Amino acid sequence: MEENEFFGEKTFQHYCAEFIKHSQKIGDGWEWRASKDCSDGYMCKTHFQVKNGTAVSHQGTSDHVQTFLPVEEALDPPLDDLEVNETTTAAEVIKYEYHVLYSCSYQVPVLYFRASFLDGRPLALKDIWEGVHECYKMRLLQGPWDTITQQEHPILGQPFFVLHPCKTSEFMTPVLKNSQKINRNVNYITSWLSMVGPAVGLNVPLSYATAASQDEGNVDGQDSSIERKSLEEH
Amino acid sequence: MTDDKDVLRDVWFGRIPTCFTLYQDEITEREAEPYYLLLPRVSYLTLVTDKVKKHFQKVMRQEDISEIWFEYEGTPLKWHYPIGLLFDLLASSSALPWNITVHFKSFPEKDLLHCPSKDVIEAHFMSCVKEADALKHKSQVINEMQKKDHKQLWMGLQNDRFDQFWAINRKLMEYPAEENGFRYIPFRIYQTTTERPFIQKLFRPVSTDGQLHTLGDLLKEVCPSAVAPEGS
Repeated sequence: MEENEFFGEKTFQHYCAEFIKHSQKIGDGWEWRASKDCSDGYMCKTHFQVKNGTAVSHQGTSDHVQTFLPVEEALDPPLDDLEVNETTTAAEVIKYEYHVLYSCSYQVPVLYFRASFLDGRPLALKDIWEGVHECYKMRLLQGPWDTITQQEHPILGQPFFVLHPCKTSEFMTPVLKNSQKINRNVNYITSWLSMVGPAVGLNVPLSYATAASQDEGNVDGQDSSIERKSLEEH
Repeated sequence: MTDDKDVLRDVWFGRIPTCFTLYQDEITEREAEPYYLLLPRVSYLTLVTDKVKKHFQKVMRQEDISEIWFEYEGTPLKWHYPIGLLFDLLASSSALPWNITVHFKSFPEKDLLHCPSKDVIEAHFMSCVKEADALKHKSQVINEMQKKDHKQLWMGLQNDRFDQFWAINRKLMEYPAEENGFRYIPFRIYQTTTERPFIQKLFRPVSTDGQLHTLGDLLKEVCPSAVAPEGS
């Protein structure tokens, strides 16, 4: 880790706050949760997806076509609006949770996620993969991260899947260096999440990027050496 | 570190006498006797209980066996915590031996990480070592090591080989002569009274005015409720 990638916890919280502001504007569902002792916290989003299957009526055949209904910038449809027919049952609604925490050891954000059916049964990693679009699966295999492993959530103490953070500063440095060169403000969280999110089924709408470049927020100068240049009107 | 060799050996060779009993609702073909074992404090449950597993599986049918997990007085035991930590946290005030219940069904998905193989334990252990080195040396020492050194560290733990382990670990415990210590001290404080599993924060070994920090200084700063206030 070099000093010019230094990304302190205050900076992290600032970028999360800006990210959440935009999320609220577009109804993307992100919110901040403080830990019980309030010393720190994390950003989280929960969304529901229906696993749409065309099931063959008799048992035994595995003639399933399973895709997840994509949820783009629009709000998730309220659950009672979903049509229940013979191919969609409550057991096939999947709850996804994404948490963004700060690692003080690696001084980068870390993405934790898990999925479960409504009755609480958790999904295994391979089941989550089935919902990830093919092109992102390739990215995941080639991506600059070690692995996805199951780990204990450092604030909640429960099992989550985690994208290992030790290579994050490796792929974020060129992004930050380039943004300094072209005099653009970059929300670290927006850039980072837009890269790692889709690989695990998390969509980050494009409007976050344009919002970030208009960000006029002040960062605590003490713990960020990411230079703040003056904003230009777009 | 050489002065502390005795302490290092005592820590490494610490053992907890344990009695493993099969959960009463498990389906067995005949009665299962309890199994006694001395557990190494520095190791992990799923790494050192192959004999326990074999012992109980002898009286069970294959179809009644799925992933093994352990429980103490109703609390599922997190295999990814060192054994000594689990004991100190949950059972240190009770009489020995430590009584652990063994389960082969109804894995508590919400509480425990899965442990499908030894590789998972190795990955977890190495991940902890790497994170500690990120704090101590900005990952320089661990990254400069070859894969075979990482392997030696793991094999030393797995096979209870103190010398083999410390041949590599001593490099991770050194710091340049001109420094007074590591960049940050890797620590985690566990308490049963909080929802948060542990406290982990950045903490320098030396204060801004050059004084070496003590354990008391650390506790006062990150866990003041554990320390008695001045004058009481």
